[in-house]
Amino acid sequence: MKGLQTEALTIRFGGLTAVDGVDFSLTPGEIVGIIGPNGAGKTTLINLLAGIYAPTSGRVVFDGEDITAVPAHRRAALGIGRTFQLIHPLEDLTLVENVMTGFLFAGRRSLRAAREAAAALCRDLGLGGLNRSTGELNILETKKMEIAKALAVEPSVLFLDEVMAGLNSTETLDVIRMVREIAAHRNLGIGVVEHVMGVIKELTERVVVLDGGRLIAAGPYSEVSQDPRVVSAYLGGSV
Amino acid sequence: MSSIEQRPRRRAPWVFAALAALLAFLPLVAGPYPQTIARSVLTYMMLAISWDMLIRSGQLSFGIAGFFGLGGYAAAIGATYLGVPPVLTLVFAAVVVGVVALLIGAVVLRLRGMYFAIVTLALAEIFRIVMHNWSSLTGGPNGMLLPRSAFDGNSVATYLMMLVLAAVVIGVSEWFRHSRIHFALTAIRDNETVAASAGVNIYAYLLTAFAITSGIQGAVGASYAQLFGFVTPESSFNVNYTLIPLAMTLLGGMYGTWGPVVGAVLLGVVGEYLKLFIPYGHLLVYGVIIVLVILFMPRGIVGLVRGHLERSRRTTTASEKGGAA
Ligand SMILES: Nc1ncnc2c1ncn2[C@@H]1O[C@H](COP(=O)(O)OP(=O)(O)OP(=O)(O)O)[C@@H](O)[C@H]1O
Ligand SMILES: [Mg+2]
Repeated sequence: MKGLQTEALTIRFGGLTAVDGVDFSLTPGEIVGIIGPNGAGKTTLINLLAGIYAPTSGRVVFDGEDITAVPAHRRAALGIGRTFQLIHPLEDLTLVENVMTGFLFAGRRSLRAAREAAAALCRDLGLGGLNRSTGELNILETKKMEIAKALAVEPSVLFLDEVMAGLNSTETLDVIRMVREIAAHRNLGIGVVEHVMGVIKELTERVVVLDGGRLIAAGPYSEVSQDPRVVSAYLGGSV
Repeated sequence: MSSIEQRPRRRAPWVFAALAALLAFLPLVAGPYPQTIARSVLTYMMLAISWDMLIRSGQLSFGIAGFFGLGGYAAAIGATYLGVPPVLTLVFAAVVVGVVALLIGAVVLRLRGMYFAIVTLALAEIFRIVMHNWSSLTGGPNGMLLPRSAFDGNSVATYLMMLVLAAVVIGVSEWFRHSRIHFALTAIRDNETVAASAGVNIYAYLLTAFAITSGIQGAVGASYAQLFGFVTPESSFNVNYTLIPLAMTLLGGMYGTWGPVVGAVLLGVVGEYLKLFIPYGHLLVYGVIIVLVILFMPRGIVGLVRGHLERSRRTTTASEKGGAA
């Protein structure tokens, strides 16, 4: 079974169950929206999938293998890529060096090969000025660098955590086009977290809706957006 | 501008290295006193470089004196009980201390920041207490005499031995700087979650860096033991071996080989000079320098110079661009 599946994935932080019995799947070739109000558990779900958090219970399965106990750096090598909602560039490395790290460590390439691969990837994404420090990048370039870093682990599943946030509408269109291209050319499964529903509608074939850590609805956006539970979740009511 | 991105040219380090080599051999012709100073500068320089190599990962160690002292004892014990030849005690100490650090690191490298720093400080004290009390092996508070000194105490040969060791340490540090280790340690320092998500095995790299830098400190401790012919708990684990390299690195600049080198030469020479006038005054000066540097020059001397070079390079490229347009 290709791709990523979870079974009853749950994590508790003290008294708070941030992700609660979630069954989720993502297969190569599809783009899935992960939506839900603030604090629904979207970022936490990504952190569980990427191995940053260990779940309280439940399983994560990748390409048919249980990876629940596999640490984050090995999941990157297996091909799970992700961006960060709160962007953390590696500020003591240049743009191209930031992108290199994934090729170097997850991809086990040599320095020279990693630098070349990173430069080529940046070029693909329209990123120039490769030796600039990360502080010199504008917001769009920073977002693209984040995507490039996630792609540098050569993922088969990729999670984009609010990469459009903070971009204006032209820039958002630019990134939407980029995500489409990535999906078309690389046969990835992409999980997209976004608050702007226009983006979700535009990009995804199906969505899952989280609320209070629970998966409350799943299906094509057009159906899910009519679901009364989803509507009330977004209006702030509880189900 | 050409479409091929060029990395900035790196000529300055070579000029610098040639100059340093020249300076390194000067004490050989300058007489015994300059040689004494130069040996002390080299000792602190190597410790400073090794400390810097670990802090490139963000891990702050206050345990230099501990591994330094342990290295001295490893040399003395190896020479006394195992008949390790004098010069080889440096290698012996590096391996013993490296392995000790590997075992300890497996546990303490789960700690970060202040917790790690304090544990390394405590470790140094534990090493000292063990050496102090294990009298049957170490001679207790009286310490140990080495059965034979390297090159039978020939000062020129001993100085050359230290130069070679310093060259090796600089080489290892530059290897750290220019290999994948540099990317791993820098990523870990900047953000561990991002590093792990790029596939960096944080624990393995920290363990490697800790073992290698501690091994270096052990070898330097052994060279010191060879120099003086004895080790004692009080002299070998002296906290100055932690504080002075730290001050030197801060002054010269962190996260590179040349910062600690510059800092060690400057503070080492100035400190010796001050010692002539006010005994222990040099320590006061070290303290003042640490405070001033942290407040006003956080990137150290090398960082300051780099910043200037960088700016002038940028203005020239900008004017070249302007001329071409
Ligand atoms: N490390 C943590 N420790 C304690 N609580 C946490 C931790 N990480 C997340 N939480 C909590 O878990 C809940 C889910 O947070 P999460 O960041 O996953 O939400 P989200 O759906 O990504 O929200 P947003 O849309 O605002 O990004 C929140 O209540 C948050 O405070
Ligand atoms: Mg979030």
